Amino acid sequence: MRLNRALALGASLLVLVGACTTGGGSSSSPAGVPASSPSSAAPPTIKIGSDGFYESKLMAEIYAQVLEANGYTVERDLGLGTREVSAPALESGQIDLKPEYIGSGLGYYDKTKTTADPATNAAALQVILTTKGGGITVLGYTPGEDANAFVVRADTAAKYGLTKISDLTAVADKLIWGLPPECSAGPLCGGALKGSYGIDVTKLNVKPLGACSVPIAEALKAGAVDVAELCSTQPAIAQFGFVSLIDDKHTQPAQNIAPLVRDDYLAKVDKVAFAKLLDAVSAKMTTDALTKLGVEVAVNNKDVKDVAAAWLKENGFIK
Amino acid sequence: MELLRATAGWLLDPGHWVGPDGIPTRLEQHVVICVVSLLVAAAIALPIGTFIGHTGRGAFAAVNLANIGRAVPSYAVMVMVLPPALSLSPKYGLDVIPIFTAMTLLAIPPILVNTFAGLRQVDPDLVEAGRGMGMRERQLLLRLELPLALPVVLGGVRTAAVQVVATATLGAELGGGGLGRYIVDGIARQEDDRLLAGVFLVAVLALATEAAFALAARVLTSAGVRRTARVELDAAH
Repeated sequence: MRLNRALALGASLLVLVGACTTGGGSSSSPAGVPASSPSSAAPPTIKIGSDGFYESKLMAEIYAQVLEANGYTVERDLGLGTREVSAPALESGQIDLKPEYIGSGLGYYDKTKTTADPATNAAALQVILTTKGGGITVLGYTPGEDANAFVVRADTAAKYGLTKISDLTAVADKLIWGLPPECSAGPLCGGALKGSYGIDVTKLNVKPLGACSVPIAEALKAGAVDVAELCSTQPAIAQFGFVSLIDDKHTQPAQNIAPLVRDDYLAKVDKVAFAKLLDAVSAKMTTDALTKLGVEVAVNNKDVKDVAAAWLKENGFIK
Repeated sequence: MELLRATAGWLLDPGHWVGPDGIPTRLEQHVVICVVSLLVAAAIALPIGTFIGHTGRGAFAAVNLANIGRAVPSYAVMVMVLPPALSLSPKYGLDVIPIFTAMTLLAIPPILVNTFAGLRQVDPDLVEAGRGMGMRERQLLLRLELPLALPVVLGGVRTAAVQVVATATLGAELGGGGLGRYIVDGIARQEDDRLLAGVFLVAVLALATEAAFALAARVLTSAGVRRTARVELDAAH
């Protein structure tokens, strides 16, 4: 029911966005990296989509601009909605490429397969996608990831010498915890804290707040809570100088970002050069870079296009 | 049917009636939020409503302001109050100040508007008669107007109380306690029995509040006013 409605909405958005962006992609002169296809014919137009939130749009825009700079013509269908819309759009060929989190993207198809190791997640996702929509390829993933993170203020980190989650075990009952309401019942939250770090959330002073929400970040900043579950690229981390604690027991699913590309599109271009181009971009995208770009987009309200272009220039991918 | 049975089972589980997440604790937290916000709202709205009802001055501004207040969603109030509340007090800024502010603002309009309307609808001939008998303004207000207006005033408090009981569940969204905890946690954990148990408990508390105020109105309304009301009712039939 809800899926149908979401699909309908997604479909109408596709039409709308498509109508707005056709003819937009001005192919600027190839720069820095040499053009991929040696043949004189331009590669066929690639339709790039993304999920509705800013980080997905940003990554899609970055891939789009680097492709444009290398002679590709790009049609943008950014902000399609949730994964329930964008995954079928990729499988059905409405779009050729979209950025995806290798943990959540894998969980969409099989929740039991997600691990804390990015290579394992990417490989498992590739196995599943090989059979979807006539074949989809997972290109190289970013070193940066947008994963669940346990975060403290800098003064708390200094006071108790906190750098990793296991440092919290000894001081857990001295701190106020901002955790999502489902934490105690969730294997990745309460289960991971108890099983791997020996922290029993049912015995802590907990303020239940939505993970990665604005209120939880504000509560952490003000000192209403001392530890909070945020997302590792959440702008508040850079904005307020929070410290993300290292998940040293590897309990949280790896959420590095990789472009998913349809095999039927790759068959029409120089596959190796195409992959090399995007892999080079992904390799530069750290968690820190993602967070800072997030501040530009979500806090400073800058245009995704401008933020993507600035980062690509800074890293020498475009002029 | 299966879900109803699961919900009943959840409510009857003795484990859910003890401890910091037990029903008595959550009920107490809920009642405290409601009672305190209602008392603060009454302390603000009753004097203002009485003043404008008795004198007729500032009625337009006060009633319209109160009605605009009705249009602002409580959750929006909480989110707006959160940042200043947090900088004012990290301890109470998260789960105490926003919900109390929102519930107080929610309760003011019905109390204020009903107090004003209750005083306005008192028969001017009665007030004139009182004046003719040599009653002072203060006596007129306390011994004539307010007793006559009381059923309407209490009706306003009753509306406010029922709204606050139902809406105070929002406190759980910002880490607060109360019966809303079961609703928010039930949704987050996908435990439908917990969610429905919370809904059931809030509904029962709201109905109990309604009944308590109906009883209070009967006891507090003077016999004369009650009889007049009945005669008017009969005459209308």
